Amino acid sequence: MAQHDVEITISQTGQVRVHVKGVKGKGCLEYTKWLAGVVGRVKDEQLTSEYYEPETKSRIDLKQDLNIEE
Amino acid sequence: MSAVVILTPVVISSWPAITAAVAGAAAGLGMVVKETVKEAVEAAEVNVEQSVEVELADSEVLAESLATGKEIVVTKADMEIRVGRDERGRCTVCASGKGKSKVELKQIAEDFAQKMTQCFVYNRVMSEVKSRNFQVVNEEVMDDESVRIHVRRWVD
Repeated sequence: MAQHDVEITISQTGQVRVHVKGVKGKGCLEYTKWLAGVVGRVKDEQLTSEYYEPETKSRIDLKQDLNIEE
Repeated sequence: MSAVVILTPVVISSWPAITAAVAGAAAGLGMVVKETVKEAVEAAEVNVEQSVEVELADSEVLAESLATGKEIVVTKADMEIRVGRDERGRCTVCASGKGKSKVELKQIAEDFAQKMTQCFVYNRVMSEVKSRNFQVVNEEVMDDESVRIHVRRWVD
């Protein structure tokens, strides 16, 4: 099983910083897309090295779990 | 690391969720919820000298549960803050108080609006992560009054 961590920081003004850890490939975008839908809209996005690593099968399951609409 | 995203909050919700955020903000700022829903006409205090209203950017209070002109009132000493919904559906925060300048009242109203937005986002995020079966690993209030929530899930 893979451990997926999400660190959510809500600033004093309500702005939110989401840091997804442990998710390889485009799977991390499913988390950010989901939280963007919950909070509001994306102001800035930075992809890190792990994003470019081969993604795993869990991405598909994750999308179903989170009920993200295409 | 995988991705870092900055999100700008949009406050679109029904009145009960707004009320919960107002109550949270009031508690955080040492204020007391005076009345949960009050007619705007009745809210005008005779002894209030100044009053300033600010609007929450990117906000919309859904109309089904609150008619225009009703509001929630929180107080602290001689200060009164009224949160309501204007004709366009925007959420408004009006600060009034005796012996305060317009500049001071504007600052108070903006501070409350920010705290309320933070509480709204917090309630929304926590409700979502719990409903998606995330485990809350840690939660802390930082020195700059931001709230950090660390959640985890296990995926096959």
